Amino acid sequence: MKQMTKMLLLITVIGFTSCSPKISSNLTNPQPKLSIDEKVALLDIEHKLPESIVKVGDLRFQDSGFSTDCSFNSLMTQARNEARKNGANIVKVVDKKKPDLWSSCYRLKIELYKYDGDVSSLTQYKLKLD
Amino acid sequence: MKIILKSILLTSVILLSSCATIISGSRQNVEINSEPSSAKVYINEIEIGNTPVQQNLKRNQEYSLVLKLDGYETYETKLERKFNAWYIGNIAFGGLIGIIIDPITGAMHKLKPEDINGSPKSGTTYNTENGKLFIKISMDIDSNSEKIGQLKKSE
Repeated sequence: MKQMTKMLLLITVIGFTSCSPKISSNLTNPQPKLSIDEKVALLDIEHKLPESIVKVGDLRFQDSGFSTDCSFNSLMTQARNEARKNGANIVKVVDKKKPDLWSSCYRLKIELYKYDGDVSSLTQYKLKLD
Repeated sequence: MKIILKSILLTSVILLSSCATIISGSRQNVEINSEPSSAKVYINEIEIGNTPVQQNLKRNQEYSLVLKLDGYETYETKLERKFNAWYIGNIAFGGLIGIIIDPITGAMHKLKPEDINGSPKSGTTYNTENGKLFIKISMDIDSNSEKIGQLKKSE
């Protein structure tokens, strides 16, 4: 009975703590933080980067094993927040793994860039609410 | 008698497994209102309409909520995920399936506006009725703007 209680407790703790995807970041050139009013372009694999951009860093979203909040839209929203914090206004997906037999999550490799032009003129991914 | 008792117990365990998913569902209805009304509402920077507006949101995500109205200060807040007490039903009734399913569906959470030191952000009031979240935002007049006139639609 004690073992059962311990197991239930463990599963509960895991359930509480592990719903978010694992994010690793490597920010090599952080820029001044952007405000919420400044646009950030979300570029999927097929969208092209403009010229004259400065690389701010990389992000990687992985499945923590118990992640549930890991749809493409949710990850792109989190990437945009990270971008703003580090002064980047372009989020570029460079590698994308869709949910499959091994993981129910999207797994993304992302590069963050700072662009001095108007990002709203770029062909980009339009975020949706899941 | 014992068989009946066992059957009732078994049925309860099956029915009450995934308690939160069954009772609350994986999504939550959120109604956003403002004072004054007709403010533009953005969730995760996606325009969803003018207040009063309703949206059915996934419980396992956090959302940014922004309201904009001419002549008023932009109001920013967050919808955070908090613990849904129905999840305890799994532990109380030993529903092992529910303990796993509820976090997967997101039903172990409920959405609530962000708290600052335990109370809602200034300007936000909310209540929950039958699982539906009602949020009301009071918007402050923008001291930098001044109304100089109004256009009237010609008939």
